[in-house]
Amino acid sequence: MSAAILSLADVHKSFGPVEIIRGVSLTVGANERHAVIGPNGAGKSTLFHLISGQLRPSAGGIFLAGEPIAGHSPQAVNRLGLARSFQITNIFPRLSVFENIRLAVMRSHGLQYCFWQWVDRNRRVREQSEALLESVRLGHRAGAVAGELSYSEQRSLEIAMTLASDPRIILLDEPMAGMSREETQYTTALIREVTQGRALLIVEHDMEVVFSLSERVSVLVYGRIIASGTPGEIRGNAQVREAYLGEEATA
Amino acid sequence: MKVRMVLLAAGVCVLAAAPLLLSDGLVNAAISMLIAALFACAYNLLCGQAGMLSFGHSAYFGVGAFATIHAMNAVDGAGLLPTPLMPLAGALGGLLFGFAAGWFSTQRTGAYFAMITLAIAELLHAIAPQLKGVFGGEAGISSMRMPAWGWDFGSTTEVYYLTLAWVLASLAGLYLLTRTPLGRLALGIRENSHRLRFLGYEVHRVSVLIFALSGMFSGIAGSLQVLSNESANYVMFDTSLSAAVVLNTYIGGVHAFLGPALGAALVTFFGYAVSDLTQSWLLYQGVLFVLVIMFMPTGLAGLLDLACGSARRYGARAVAPAAGLYVLAGGAYAAALVFLTELLQRLFSQDYRSLAQAAGAGHWPPVRMFGHDWTPLGTWTWVAPAALIVAGWLCWRAATAVVRRLQEAAPAVPAGAAGMASPGRTA
Repeated sequence: MSAAILSLADVHKSFGPVEIIRGVSLTVGANERHAVIGPNGAGKSTLFHLISGQLRPSAGGIFLAGEPIAGHSPQAVNRLGLARSFQITNIFPRLSVFENIRLAVMRSHGLQYCFWQWVDRNRRVREQSEALLESVRLGHRAGAVAGELSYSEQRSLEIAMTLASDPRIILLDEPMAGMSREETQYTTALIREVTQGRALLIVEHDMEVVFSLSERVSVLVYGRIIASGTPGEIRGNAQVREAYLGEEATA
Repeated sequence: MKVRMVLLAAGVCVLAAAPLLLSDGLVNAAISMLIAALFACAYNLLCGQAGMLSFGHSAYFGVGAFATIHAMNAVDGAGLLPTPLMPLAGALGGLLFGFAAGWFSTQRTGAYFAMITLAIAELLHAIAPQLKGVFGGEAGISSMRMPAWGWDFGSTTEVYYLTLAWVLASLAGLYLLTRTPLGRLALGIRENSHRLRFLGYEVHRVSVLIFALSGMFSGIAGSLQVLSNESANYVMFDTSLSAAVVLNTYIGGVHAFLGPALGAALVTFFGYAVSDLTQSWLLYQGVLFVLVIMFMPTGLAGLLDLACGSARRYGARAVAPAAGLYVLAGGAYAAALVFLTELLQRLFSQDYRSLAQAAGAGHWPPVRMFGHDWTPLGTWTWVAPAALIVAGWLCWRAATAVVRRLQEAAPAVPAGAAGMASPGRTA
């Protein structure tokens, strides 16, 4: 296995007396596509919030390329090379599609306090924004208002925004939620294509997507990873089948 | 785009020619309009573009004003800077105070942000009369414009041109700011600051910077006011000024760059023209604000946009009758409102009650209004406003019918879809 880009060591998270994450250890290798699956309420989104800096873990360590990031702010985590999308579409709804992407691209060009140059004249930002839009096949929609795109187009836009900072790892939280079959197939291919050369950590409920897309799968149940392995291993794991994949429920 | 440039050039020419055509009193009014327009645009950078609704923007206007008056009085009254450059002092004052206040207030968003800005302005308003050395106590501080660069700044006309130059330069600066990365980020903060964080932006720092820049341009507006009045008083920190800029900005429309300037100039002008004629001016201003918020949240600029958009879509000739009817309807309603307000205001006034008492029970002396005597129980006194209301209603119905026919003949694009998508728009 290649060197780990992201590793979690015995991460805990409690909200008051309620412990949501109860000791998660997880490793994602560079260029690895890794899926986290688990029943509703298992803590998958919480895990993403902990990694991306939205929440601070109660205990344990999170390392991005060996550097501790537990408790860092979202913007600090992002600048270290981790970008994420959200379960509920999280874009700039009343701005144009191009403007959405440009906001995402500008950051990596260090333009955040810049008021001495025209943004339209910055060729590198414009070209990179256009290339990103093309890569998610939204080039023809550049002038549209983002909030008026179709649902799957908005999800594609989210993925493009996630890629804008050229991160080393991206986290996608249920990118296919609410999509039709065709849209799901299309988005799966898109994700496979745009995550070339970087690591992916994905939460997804659609098992077909999970098993076709990922190289490793971890199963999160009630705040613990109960199994981690290749799709084949996970499919054959009796404990996983019992807990999650729809065999008889545990007592 | 070309049409816009021509309109802009024409507007600047009209503004430049104004002192040649207007009386001294009107030039003074024009100075107030220009200052209010700049203040509203500075406010809109924060409110309309970055989505931060401040309720205490008089603070930055006032700080700019006092920074200027002290700069004018420095060096034994000779002034720290030549008079034409005095607004730089106001800009610096507004910028620095904007940084300090912005650092606190942008820690929170929404209602909490608004409350903090309100508290900061109230703090200044409460503390200013106590600090006699800085704010001159209740009396305030006065000063003199010093001659510089061959002008003596003794006439209203010279002050007008100084104000015009600074307002145009500041508006240009504010507009160009919207074309920079920081200006685009302001829109991102308004739309979704949470997402910006996950794109790696230090949202708080960007917000403080935008807040401070808004404070800086507000400071320039305050400074111009001081140059015009040659005095500054702690009353500048009053809530009414903070409220006025919010009202002006929304009446004009927060989504168009020059909307707030339009609103501020119009409201200031009406204030100047009407406040001598009626005691109910504040009521009219309030009614106008409520109507704008309820029926046209995009403000007067949005209304113009709608009119121009319809004219493009259906042709100016087809739209003109509807527009004319709407104007007639609005005029008739406004006339009825003014008539009733003025009548009731006179009937309930102290003067009228003593008159009525003197006339004896059952006698209602006539009220003098619009050059006529109106008896309170006379038929015409009530038929006139009723007729206006009916006429307004008929015009409105006719206009709506015309619009419906136009829409049925040529179904329109869904409202809002066309205008907002064009990338050239600032908001």
